[in-house]
Amino acid sequence: MPTNIKVQLLKILCLCLSMCLLGTQVQAAEVTIHKNDASGLLTWTVKDNGFSIELIQLNPDFVRAVYGKHEFPADERERIAGYCVFGSIIQNTSQQQLSYRVADWRYVDKNGKSYPVKTKAQWLEEWRKVGITFAWTLLPESGDFGIGDWQQGFTTIQIDRNEKFDLIYTWTLDGEKHQGTIENMSCAPATL
Amino acid sequence: MPYRTISILLCGLLMFSAQAAERQQPKLGYQMTALAEPLPAPDFTLEDMDANKFSLQDYRGKVVLLNFWATWCPPCRREMPSMERLHQKFKDKDFAVLALNQMEDGDQVFTFTGDLGVDLSFPIVYDKDSRVSRAYGVMGLPTTYLIDKKGNVRFRAIGGREFDHPEVEKLILQLIQE
Repeated sequence: MPTNIKVQLLKILCLCLSMCLLGTQVQAAEVTIHKNDASGLLTWTVKDNGFSIELIQLNPDFVRAVYGKHEFPADERERIAGYCVFGSIIQNTSQQQLSYRVADWRYVDKNGKSYPVKTKAQWLEEWRKVGITFAWTLLPESGDFGIGDWQQGFTTIQIDRNEKFDLIYTWTLDGEKHQGTIENMSCAPATL
Repeated sequence: MPYRTISILLCGLLMFSAQAAERQQPKLGYQMTALAEPLPAPDFTLEDMDANKFSLQDYRGKVVLLNFWATWCPPCRREMPSMERLHQKFKDKDFAVLALNQMEDGDQVFTFTGDLGVDLSFPIVYDKDSRVSRAYGVMGLPTTYLIDKKGNVRFRAIGGREFDHPEVEKLILQLIQE
């Protein structure tokens, strides 16, 4: 059996297992992809069951510049710029309480292997050890959103810049857990 | 490539990216979430640009809109004019706006307010180590609380808002009249 079919079957199996084990509602919502004409950078947007997520490719120079502005040491600027970084905006579009935990989010590489998304808390713990206390650029690791609440910040994926991946994210709306997937995401190119 | 050229390119890139990000920002709403139980607002004393001290307990008897923000945060920038309009509308009532800048200095805020195109007349104080934001459990910027006249947190908003929306004004008037 070809490898790509095996990977797809593995993904479907994982999805079914997570549905059965966690009682999670899994939707196949429409993903909108916007390409910026000037930069070529991509933005993925999904609006699904009270939850909106938008992920904007950020190129490494931009990430370096952001952390340079906040006076991060050069090696830490390089370290985070080496990740696949997205500007992320998440929003409660419902009229109910919504929550999310980045620790529950996963990304799946081309071989079907799943990895946890690195959380803000994990970054802060690493930065604390090198004396960095600035804590405001990354998407908060969790949130309890009332009506109209939204949040933004960077999301970091540790993967080869040229490799595509699927992002699996979850949220809880009025006590019910939901899951969505954005397939075939890609990192911003190393240079514009 | 000369350093000057690199700097110009980088500035252009930053401006472009900031503009792109701002273009995609969600529309500012107006809803604020009522806390299930009022919580005592942690007290603090912080200084403004001129080293004037501001303590939350000095505002007892007033309703306070407490806003955690930073100059580099696009929704913070977008909601500031509505906070100023609110301040102008209610400043002669038992109401105050207090903005707590996170981890920046007077120069950064001075440049920001100069570029904003709106004179901000409410106090801006400096939470230089984010100690106060941690005490309030702020996870991201902007986050805003409405504090009642007894010093209890009653409402919360995560993300930018239009604070002079009639629905927010109604909440403030309700709290003033309590």
